Amino acid sequence: MQADREKVGTEDTFRLEIVVANAPEGAVVQLPAAEDFEVLGRSQSTQMSYSLGPGGAGVITQVQKHTLTMRANRTGTLTIPPAAVQTAAKLYKTRPVVIEVVRGRLSPERAKRGQPPTNPFGFPPGFPGFGGLDDQDDPLGGEPRLDEPTVPRGDSDLFLRMSLDKSEAYVGEQVMVTIHLYSRVDLSSVDSVTMPKLDGFLSQDFKTPNQLMSEQRVIGGVPYREYLLRQKAVFPLKAGTVTIEAPEADITTGIFYAGRRVHRRGNELKLVVRALPPGPATTAVGRWRLSREVSQTEVALGEPVQVKLVLQGRGNLQGVQLPPLGAPAAFKVFDPETSDKPSTSKSHVGGTRTIEYTLVPQQTGTFVLPALTVPSFDPETRKYDELRVDEITLKVNPGAGGASVGPNPTVPMGLDGPKNQLIAGGLKSLRHTAHFRPPASSLTAQRWFLPLALAPLGLTVLMGAFLFARGALGAETPESLKKKQARAARKRLAAGEKLLKTGSTADFYAEIERALTSFMSAKLGTPVTGLVRADLVTKLTEAGVAEAERVRIVAVLETCDLGRYAPGMGEFGARRKALSDAAAAMEGWS
Amino acid sequence: MISLVLALSLAQYTPQEAQSLFVEGNDAYYKGELGTAKERYEKLLHAGLGGPDVLFNLGTTHLAAGELGPAILFLERAHRLADDDDIGANLAVARQRQVDQVVGEEASVPFTQRLADATDERVVGGAFLVAWWLGFVLFWLTWRREPGARVGLGLVTALFLLVGTGLGATLAVHAWVRSTVVEAIVMPHAAAVREYPGDSAKVSFEVHAGLKVRIMETSGRYARVRLPNALEGWTEKEGLVSL
Repeated sequence: MQADREKVGTEDTFRLEIVVANAPEGAVVQLPAAEDFEVLGRSQSTQMSYSLGPGGAGVITQVQKHTLTMRANRTGTLTIPPAAVQTAAKLYKTRPVVIEVVRGRLSPERAKRGQPPTNPFGFPPGFPGFGGLDDQDDPLGGEPRLDEPTVPRGDSDLFLRMSLDKSEAYVGEQVMVTIHLYSRVDLSSVDSVTMPKLDGFLSQDFKTPNQLMSEQRVIGGVPYREYLLRQKAVFPLKAGTVTIEAPEADITTGIFYAGRRVHRRGNELKLVVRALPPGPATTAVGRWRLSREVSQTEVALGEPVQVKLVLQGRGNLQGVQLPPLGAPAAFKVFDPETSDKPSTSKSHVGGTRTIEYTLVPQQTGTFVLPALTVPSFDPETRKYDELRVDEITLKVNPGAGGASVGPNPTVPMGLDGPKNQLIAGGLKSLRHTAHFRPPASSLTAQRWFLPLALAPLGLTVLMGAFLFARGALGAETPESLKKKQARAARKRLAAGEKLLKTGSTADFYAEIERALTSFMSAKLGTPVTGLVRADLVTKLTEAGVAEAERVRIVAVLETCDLGRYAPGMGEFGARRKALSDAAAAMEGWS
Repeated sequence: MISLVLALSLAQYTPQEAQSLFVEGNDAYYKGELGTAKERYEKLLHAGLGGPDVLFNLGTTHLAAGELGPAILFLERAHRLADDDDIGANLAVARQRQVDQVVGEEASVPFTQRLADATDERVVGGAFLVAWWLGFVLFWLTWRREPGARVGLGLVTALFLLVGTGLGATLAVHAWVRSTVVEAIVMPHAAAVREYPGDSAKVSFEVHAGLKVRIMETSGRYARVRLPNALEGWTEKEGLVSL
């Protein structure tokens, strides 16, 4: 008895071979039964050979080979108890086999305890245990397949497995989710399959077989029939590690009326979703082509133009967002019609999106449909690319009926055909020259403003204060007293002026005389009221008043005396002359 | 003019350089390079070379870029400097795109604010200084005249002083309104307005980019804002830029 490995993982399977040669008739082979190991598969083969022995006698050799596919249930250094052959006479035992078991799955390792025996019986290729094509594909005999499912403990005859075609993907990149059923029993039907919730993904059905079709598959040395239940293309929406819940299925096993309904739950999976590398923001992840066509590039005013924008390729068609057409304002753009035609290739989903715009020109002239660019990311090359369609120039002619500028753009197309509509609106254009102005500051916030505003008030107050101080505190000199009295006399003369037109003659001349007398008293420094003319003249002479002034003063006094009694002196002209003479006398003396 | 010359010298831009920067901004706008256009206009503003033309172009560029907050801010500033049809038209377009619609009766604007809005402070200030000084000069002349000859000049003096006092009062109203009425534009796309200043306060309503509000008072990071219909609340100061 020998195992093909000395050290295995708890997830690994290994083969144990028990070879019995020339067992006597009725001998019973007792295969080892160990609690620490699970037997996943058994096979038995018998080889008979004929050879000539010594002396020329023919010898027939019979070899029985029992192969167990096993898996350890726990870690540690475990022992497989000996196998035995019970004959009528004796019990033959093999040696026990010691296996070191570690957690998980070890890197594949070729059997160290000898190669499997060659195929002595000429079994067809694929027969397990004797090499051949299937054994070369067997993961235990070479490099393991990446999607090698793990046989569950317990339900190893019938189990459900979900797999991804990649363990890491970019946001928006296609990931294929496949659900297989593995069976070593007869299946009647798969009644229902519950797909996991694919939160965080956009998904699209890829394969949903209507009939159960199986393929032969060897897993861990055990032959299974593999049934494809579902296959979906999913597109992750955000970065991070996403857990996909386990799928479930209800299956009826057996054939005809001996069927039994069982429920199986598959495995959970984790997918690492990476954000797109730094670059332009894009929703087009995959391999895409963008094209645009117009029905005509020269059109008459009011005639429709069809513009078709086509996106084709592989990736998530639903997730791709195309930019708006950006038609010039001179065109009326009707709501576009969008049609998606999904398609699948051997391993990818994709499709064609067609957006059809109908444009109706509202103005004559030459207009440009701007170029469109859509950044895209190809996860296979891990590079950004740019989908681009070039600009298209459209010429709009007035048409057969000619065009006229409609004064009112709201007027619908009338009997004269479509109009060249010149509609106001939109943003006003920029200023083309600038008159720069520093930031406006408030006038009242200027430092000079308040002093300038208060200055006249302050000056007036100062001036008033100065005059008041001078009047109140200044010494009354004879000279200033004279001036004061003289001013008072002049004021009185001003009072006389008020009587010039309306006052009585007597009052007028009395006022003039009082003004002159007061003036002389002020100038001479002595009262002159009541003096006779001769005394007055003497005093004036003593005061140094010139002859001419003396005569003028006396003349004014005489006029005043005369004015009070003589007729004709009340006339305006006479009064004016008297007033002027008095003023001249005062000013002459001053 | 003196201040413009001073600004040009401080900015180290000759008038030709400033004009060329302005034209570069315009060219970038028409090429669709709105970021470059904004940068050119902002350079001029930072150099103290503003004015309604630069503000109008900058506001219009922000509007073309779909940035309502700055668009309305600069267009409003331009509108305050020059009452112009183009500025008014683009400002109307920007307001039309605003998310917020203030519903309800607008609170009545006080007389003082209406007076300040209706009069130009610089014109009023200049007229005040002229009338005031003239009034006092005439007063001094009247004072020196003989009592009998003061009547006519006295009346003219009184008239000037009366006009000067009225203009001075209007100027005082301007200063008062400027110091107490602070209007601002909401900058972020959406800003929460709370019942009281604090992060834990209940959100009363939201305002959006471009809405003009009046700042009533501030407290820490928050400002109490009032909408034209007298709706009030507290929002973060950093989301507001005063006009």
